[in-house]
Amino acid sequence: MSSGSGTTIRSLLLLSAVGFVGAAATYFVEGPARFWANWLVWMVFGIAVGLGCLFIVALEHQVQSVWSVPLRRVPERLSSLALWVTPLVLAALLCLPVLYPWARPEGASVPAIVLKSAWLNTPFFIIRTVACVALWFVAYRLVVKRSFEQDRSRDPMITVCLRRHAPLVLAIFALTLTTVAFDWISSLEPVWYSDIFGVYLFAGTFLSGLAATTLGTLYLYNRGRLPGVTEDHLYNLGGFLFAFTVFWGYIAFAQYMLMWYGDMPEEVFWFKQRTTGGWLALALILGIGHFFVPFLALVSRKAKISPKRLRWVSLWILAFMLVDLYWLIFPAVGAKVRLGWPELSFALLFLPLGLLAARAAMAKGEDTPVGDPFLQEGLEFRL
Amino acid sequence: MPEAPFGVLAVYPTAQALLDAIPGIKARGFSNLEAYTPFPVHGLEEALGLKKSRLGTLVFIMAALGAVSAFLFEWWTSVVDYPLVIGGKPLNSWQAFVPVMFEVTVLFATFTAGLAMLFLFNKLPFFGSPILGSKAIRRTTKDRFGLLIMPVEGVLDVEAASAALLETGGSEVEVLAAPDSTPPGLGWWFKTLSGITAACVVTGFGTAWAIKIYPTIPPMVHMEVQPRLDAQKADSFFADGHGMQLPPVGTVARGYMPLLAKSPEEAGKELINPLPVTPAVLQKGRDLFNYHCAVCHDRLGTGKPWLTSAYTAKPANLQASTYRKVPDGYIYYVISEGKGAMPSYAADLSANDRWAIVDYVRALQRSQHAKPEDVQ
Ligand code: HEC
Repeated sequence: MSSGSGTTIRSLLLLSAVGFVGAAATYFVEGPARFWANWLVWMVFGIAVGLGCLFIVALEHQVQSVWSVPLRRVPERLSSLALWVTPLVLAALLCLPVLYPWARPEGASVPAIVLKSAWLNTPFFIIRTVACVALWFVAYRLVVKRSFEQDRSRDPMITVCLRRHAPLVLAIFALTLTTVAFDWISSLEPVWYSDIFGVYLFAGTFLSGLAATTLGTLYLYNRGRLPGVTEDHLYNLGGFLFAFTVFWGYIAFAQYMLMWYGDMPEEVFWFKQRTTGGWLALALILGIGHFFVPFLALVSRKAKISPKRLRWVSLWILAFMLVDLYWLIFPAVGAKVRLGWPELSFALLFLPLGLLAARAAMAKGEDTPVGDPFLQEGLEFRL
Repeated sequence: MPEAPFGVLAVYPTAQALLDAIPGIKARGFSNLEAYTPFPVHGLEEALGLKKSRLGTLVFIMAALGAVSAFLFEWWTSVVDYPLVIGGKPLNSWQAFVPVMFEVTVLFATFTAGLAMLFLFNKLPFFGSPILGSKAIRRTTKDRFGLLIMPVEGVLDVEAASAALLETGGSEVEVLAAPDSTPPGLGWWFKTLSGITAACVVTGFGTAWAIKIYPTIPPMVHMEVQPRLDAQKADSFFADGHGMQLPPVGTVARGYMPLLAKSPEEAGKELINPLPVTPAVLQKGRDLFNYHCAVCHDRLGTGKPWLTSAYTAKPANLQASTYRKVPDGYIYYVISEGKGAMPSYAADLSANDRWAIVDYVRALQRSQHAKPEDVQ
């Protein structure tokens, strides 16, 4: 590794250290609620990127897709981010009494919360969280780990084995991601409920995974490290980003419209809170930024094969996943939109760390799954 | 000058041979080319130098137009032309418009794509392209790759074109005559229109006949399809052939109390309110009043209807002194029998329900005209 990259690492670590100081100060100056809300945003963001990539890998094996084989190494590598965030998840268990009304004594006096106490109680929450974390390690072992072994052994049976594990991993993904959505986000306001909320987080998760995969692919592609990968492969990534942008819009609007129409107080208050005052501006920005901008940016055929376009749209989508999480989580802890030095500190703390983790992950194994018997066929893929 | 032919066609044995031939033909000065292949061939568009299809742009514009026109139409119907408050929502509720906008967007997009492709780009009314009459067409839908050289600005050197095709490895060269471009005569229109009419008549009568002859076969049998007696229907079960029978003379329905009074005043004198004034009765009376009466008489009974100006009748102001003085039985009678534009509620409200409403109306009146003693 060149000394240039050494300084990059050092400056990233330095930034992160500055962020750490700011984040710690948040805890004491602004109070634990704001600290943990920021923590949650970045924690779920990390889960979304990591699990999104894991999902892409499992999906490829499940549907036995061949075009994506040459690109599979990118989501395989980045799916390790899901394992990197697990300490954040476990540490976040400390915040239960701070952020979650059901974990506080006054929760016992709200009938709607008492009704849900069989699910929403601290011991069971901890069990679920630990189980999710454990299942992510299991899923990673089942569908990613042996693919790296295949680089050396070139054993085609490994592909067969990975494909066989895919359905199980998909089931784990669905269960744990829904649990994350319900437990960590939706139970911030335990009276509220939305059946579709898991799907909503899934839409954002898959998009984040796709965006990260696209960025990783372009990183290698632009450096000529993916020989044989063509515009046709990029087109498919662009197509996926486009399709799931629409999917996100569809789900987000479906959830909103049904509740708006039904107008039931226990459902609609959640949206009312998120569409008044500054939150309304944020909601509009979210709708435009998460749906309309990527939609228009990717609608044409040329856009889907342009590395430049794909890169900024992917970064844009990741940024709006953060906005989305902010909009989901923060109204639960404060009536006003607050963006200030604490939020900046958390960005400084986690972004460099995330980049470093991604960088370390991107160094693992070969750039393409050279042992996969379908690699050649995948490279020959043309639209 | 003789009219230029439609084009000169040749076939090549493989997709690669076709791709290799195109640059040579272009080099010989032929630029208006078209290829016919049994499956999509990569790189063909670029080799032929086809321009990017404008279909996508057109579809995009029409889709946007679909979204906008659906919104305007919904806005106009529900805000301007026929304003109706539904579920307490504002008239201009964009949230409710979105699903229709989405559907219309998709509709416009698909129709534009399909029709524009057929009419604008494939020039649909131009039936039968000469290519369909060529010998090569059979093979180019199977295992040969056809290349057609077409005239540029109406000029084509047939000799040179044939030579170019042969020299680049083509075979079975044929010259396709230009299609007859004279507009169809009266006879053509007559034949076409009478053909369409005949087809309509035949299918129409055929369908009518088929429906008559064959009983419709229900996909599943619902519980309502079973032997039973229907009110107002003939039935052979009873001797008199009626499905509905008169009750035996002197029968009285359970709980039914006939209203013997002939006018509200008479009812006011004769009827005594059987219900005690308890919180439970008032609560029930309030619910029923708010469901049934408040739309016209307002929640406080002031007689200001919530209905739009289209409702012209004048509901009574139950707070007026006349109605504060009338006896309970009077109000009971009006609820039971209705009055003027006010319908009867005998079918919707049981006797006890009606008395509960009367009690509540009394409470309302008292609440608006409280005496000092009431406050103590
Ligand atoms: C569809 C609108 C409508 C509804 C619903 C309605 N009313 Fe009326 N009501 C009227 C109108 C109109 C009048 C005036 C009738 C007239 O004087 O011709 C009226 C008159 C009355 C009167 C005075 C009758 C009189 O002799 O002058 C009473 C008492 C009354 N309503 C009670 C009720 C009660 C109790 C209910 C609920 C069960 C009810 N109304 C529901 C429209 C309505």
